[in-house]
Amino acid sequence: MSVLTAELRSEADAIVAKYPNSRSAVLPLLFLVQSVEGYVTDEGMREVADILELTPAQVLGAASFYTMLKKKDQGMYLISVCRNIACTHLGGRELLNTFEDLLQIKAGETTPDGRFSLEAAECLATCDGAPSLQVNYEDFYRVTPEKARDLISRLERDESLASERGELVKDAKTISREVARAGVRIPHGEVEDLRTIGGEGPRVDAATGFRPKERGYKREGDDGGS
Amino acid sequence: MAAAEVRLVTERLREHPEDSWTLERARATGGYEAARRAISEFSPDDTIELVKNAGLRGRGGAGFPTGMKWSFVPKDVFPKYVVINHDEGEPCTFKDRELAESDPHAVIEGIITAAWANQANKAFIYCRGEFALGSRRLDAAIKEAYGAGYLGSGIFGTKFDLDIILHRGAGAYICGEESALLDSLEGYRGQPRLRPPFPAVKGLYGQPTVINNTETIATLPWIVNNGVDEYKKHGTEKSPGTKMFSVSGHVMSPANYEVPLGTSLKDILELAGGMRKGGTPKAVIPGGASSPLLVDVDIAMDFDTLKEAGTMLGSGAITFLEEGTCMVRNALVTLEFFEHESCGKCTPCREGTWWAVKVLERIEHGEGRQEDMDLLLDISDGIDGRSFCPLGDAASWALRSNVKLFRDEFEQHVALQACPFEGEHRTLVGARR
Repeated sequence: MSVLTAELRSEADAIVAKYPNSRSAVLPLLFLVQSVEGYVTDEGMREVADILELTPAQVLGAASFYTMLKKKDQGMYLISVCRNIACTHLGGRELLNTFEDLLQIKAGETTPDGRFSLEAAECLATCDGAPSLQVNYEDFYRVTPEKARDLISRLERDESLASERGELVKDAKTISREVARAGVRIPHGEVEDLRTIGGEGPRVDAATGFRPKERGYKREGDDGGS
Repeated sequence: MAAAEVRLVTERLREHPEDSWTLERARATGGYEAARRAISEFSPDDTIELVKNAGLRGRGGAGFPTGMKWSFVPKDVFPKYVVINHDEGEPCTFKDRELAESDPHAVIEGIITAAWANQANKAFIYCRGEFALGSRRLDAAIKEAYGAGYLGSGIFGTKFDLDIILHRGAGAYICGEESALLDSLEGYRGQPRLRPPFPAVKGLYGQPTVINNTETIATLPWIVNNGVDEYKKHGTEKSPGTKMFSVSGHVMSPANYEVPLGTSLKDILELAGGMRKGGTPKAVIPGGASSPLLVDVDIAMDFDTLKEAGTMLGSGAITFLEEGTCMVRNALVTLEFFEHESCGKCTPCREGTWWAVKVLERIEHGEGRQEDMDLLLDISDGIDGRSFCPLGDAASWALRSNVKLFRDEFEQHVALQACPFEGEHRTLVGARR
């Protein structure tokens, strides 16, 4: 079975059509794979190679270079805590430890229920809000241990969570799809406009109370069942 | 005299924080007048001359004159491309992020001006992957601009066509280096290219390419609207105009402040409300992580004065560090960054940054050796000038400056076999990823 459905294949075509040279579509297409699989799988990379008439090795070469393209299973929410200069001098490393304690995992790991991944990030260009972090690339400023606890408990209960700039946190696969589609004018059937502005993006639906594993989020080594 | 901002580039976003990113607001505040004027009243060469005469220097870090960069583009080779470097990743820099999030139409208007000057019909915005809101705002603004006839075929009712293609990066600091950015945009690993040929001659897809920083591009509309003489009223002779400074660290009000180039560092500190505990800073990183430290705030912030002082204006990211800050820790954080972001192409940078982190870690963790300070300086010399792109050089400068300026503090760590600082300034925890 292929990774990209017919719908995603036509989206891939729209992405390729953006560029004068199809190879430029490597990164967005890998994000499209990530939006299905949660990370860039071997099968997904082979499909991207096939679409762009590249070798799988050429695709792997590009994929392995970039930190946002994940090489193993990820949680539904990726928490990226800045470990760079301004944040470190204002408690960023301690904040990272707070998250490690709260989630009982180390940076670079995913919780057993597939809900959270944690990583130490390089400068996120939010130094005016140090110590800062991102949840699925939405920004949070001046994060205290209390704020960290609140953030985790909200996400655990599938409550909606707004960033510093009023953007609602979405799940990781939705965001990968959004990255893939940046700048793409999809001619037909724009299902949901992810490029909303001013904080009224599609919300993580609290009513359905979905579990991470049902959405296909699992930790490496899991059998995928919930 | 109290320090004050001079807002040429940031006026719209400061005056109208509620909707500065919308086309409606842009239009109500003179948006797209400059682009329209450039295309209908100026020839492409006139536009290049205007930017040359204004003396605008690139705001990405190198400070290279923008008009001169444009003049290297061959006139008779097509297609040409304009690429916007919105891969802002220099530690402590957050100006381009704010510009694109809060005033994407200024960026688009600048792109139209640059594309007209260089006769490019396609422009790319390489937007840093992690900038979710910025990408949404740029995407929406591009859509609005197409709808208004400012982009697409025959823009502003002329015969000039222009498409903007928004492209997201995927997480790599090195892609802010312009030739690495081009490789990344072409679908490769983002590693720097050998120059010459320069991108102006052979850039994206082997075609003539102008690459400009977001802030540089967003400055163009003001220059077109107000002219060279007005622009040169701000700043210094060799560094005209204003600059957005990203102020961070132990200050009361970290934020972006737009002031004329040549404004004293002391005044910028005052604008940011001073140090959070009062007094003067222990050290200042004046131009992003790549720039050597300053200890004196009595200095004019422009390209040439900082160069003479042995450091650089860089991206305009100023980080103030208070007394009590552990400078070994500062050096370690900085070098960890460069070690992580080294693309691995050149041995001195790849291996040198790795070894520097090892040595700094043992000093900070109380296992330093007497010879470590000289060893660090030796590692620094071993990287400087021996790598392909400026990443290695930057790492070596930052390392050398921390060790040289605060050598006594490094020695104290070794003598005590511990970090002498207290609480939040003390030994690193959870440092490795």
